[in-house]
Amino acid sequence: MWTGRIRLLFLMPAVFWVLLFTIFPLIYSLYASFHNVTNETVMERVQVPRLDAEGNPVLRPDGTPRMRTQVNRETVTDWEFVGLDNFRRIFNDPQVAEAVQVTAIFVVAAVAVEMLLGLLLAFLFNRELPGRPVLRMLMILPIFATPVAAGYLFFTIFYEEGGPLGWTGIPWLSHPDWALVSIIIVDIWQWTPFCFLVFLAALQGIPDDFLEAARLDTDSTLAIWREVILPQLVPVIVIVFLLRLAEAVKVFDVVASLTVGGPGNATQSLSYLSFRTGLRFFDVGYASAIAYTLLIAVMLVVTVLYKRIRSVYA
Amino acid sequence: MPDLPSNRRAGIANILWSLLAIAITLVFIFPLYWAVSTALRNPVDTFTVAGIGLPWLDFQPTLDNIKTELSTPEGLRALRTSLLVTVSAVALALGLGLPAAYALARFRFWSNADITIWFLSQRVLPPVATLIPFYLTFRAVGMLDTPWALILVNATFILPFVVVILRQTFLDLPRELEEAALVDGASYLGAFFRVALPLAMPAVASTGLIIFAFAWNEFLFASSLGITETKTMPAHMAGAVDTRGVQFWFMATRALIAMVPPVLLALFAQRYIVRGLTLGAVKG
Repeated sequence: MWTGRIRLLFLMPAVFWVLLFTIFPLIYSLYASFHNVTNETVMERVQVPRLDAEGNPVLRPDGTPRMRTQVNRETVTDWEFVGLDNFRRIFNDPQVAEAVQVTAIFVVAAVAVEMLLGLLLAFLFNRELPGRPVLRMLMILPIFATPVAAGYLFFTIFYEEGGPLGWTGIPWLSHPDWALVSIIIVDIWQWTPFCFLVFLAALQGIPDDFLEAARLDTDSTLAIWREVILPQLVPVIVIVFLLRLAEAVKVFDVVASLTVGGPGNATQSLSYLSFRTGLRFFDVGYASAIAYTLLIAVMLVVTVLYKRIRSVYA
Repeated sequence: MPDLPSNRRAGIANILWSLLAIAITLVFIFPLYWAVSTALRNPVDTFTVAGIGLPWLDFQPTLDNIKTELSTPEGLRALRTSLLVTVSAVALALGLGLPAAYALARFRFWSNADITIWFLSQRVLPPVATLIPFYLTFRAVGMLDTPWALILVNATFILPFVVVILRQTFLDLPRELEEAALVDGASYLGAFFRVALPLAMPAVASTGLIIFAFAWNEFLFASSLGITETKTMPAHMAGAVDTRGVQFWFMATRALIAMVPPVLLALFAQRYIVRGLTLGAVKG
């Protein structure tokens, strides 16, 4: 049982889909990262007959069609092989260095605060509190708020003259350091609830009689923690850490909406830099190289933690 | 009654903990409340409202902003595009992912674990790494600014969720039921559609809601591939700020309209949220 060709019919469509829409684009951008891609717009003026609403040519009194000038634009993309030049450029580019720093600070600060705060909240909510289901439900809401909308929303909240946080006198979005703090705060707002929910689920997953039996055995809170609570919590902490890490390094939406990478380049993350390089300045090869650097960094982390991830998910 | 004081102390402590929990929840809810409060104001009141801007107390609320926003052709089109793209992407991802999830839970391949992790690893990829290839390819085949482009990329992004979460769901179902059906002469397709799928339905529906929220919220590709005709709500928001400048009431109103569908729908999946967001690793 559970063999036969039909299993391929179940699995293969999804596999081919991923190959086509993930692996192929990745190969494409690897190829692009070894090239200097330039766009040139070639314009050509041609005379074409003027048409009326029905699509018939408009005629002059003498019977010849009226002509108009049409400009044909064609974008010619030129791919020039440059080897590792784009990757070499990365190491000498101050913008990249700054983006790496911004991304690293963001990831470390946001993930650390989210996990710590989430853990504290989970302990708080693990008590018998009146109205806990309602509070828990309200805490879920930020997780699913559209991130780019959250960015714009916090723009109105961080507004320095008359916004609800204006009284603090903090230059939330106009000072380079505070702007990064603001981005981090939005992420903390959105993702602390996720850490909290998962930790709470883990705490509540410890059976009550398990805890009671432990209390009969020992008076030491420390021992109960070490023997009962931590073994339940640690694997979950690892999972949450991995998931948050994987998401946080990609940070883009809030940067794009709240600070547009500024002031200056003070909040420009690697994703945002790659996006701007590729689709605003159309330096496709270099943008691909930046994206690949981020990809390689993520892949290194995944490889190092592969055994851990495998034991959780497989 | 010797332990009354300690009882009372415990009671007071409990009240304090409750108040703390309520206060923290209010802090987390405040930005959403602020969106509602700003959206309900007359534009002239935007900055003049005192305190925390309670409707009726601090200002006379009006639905004008929301009505205006929902009556512009661009706003309606963005909502329609978002709905079309998101629903199609969810349907596509479920159609492809459900059988794969089932296959990885039941059939034996060379290494089910590694194939599952391979699907999972797609989630870890930074989307910018595939943005430029998608952009150039769609431009070359004339699919830029069509709903198809957005449906394809969104389905790709949410497919790993479907495979990994629902594989776990199928693993948790007893395989004996399907095996009994197989012994009775059902085909594997029959066992999947008639036995396993109905049992997995609550999890499938919840997963559907969660991936709906993710696809709805997607911004990077939505703003890059949908240029004029196919702006989804998130892309529509961003465009408005560029052309209109900083008009807080519209920002808040649009943010609110963009956020309401995913947030409300996700509430229906409450019971599965922990499982869904950890891709099946933690049972909520």
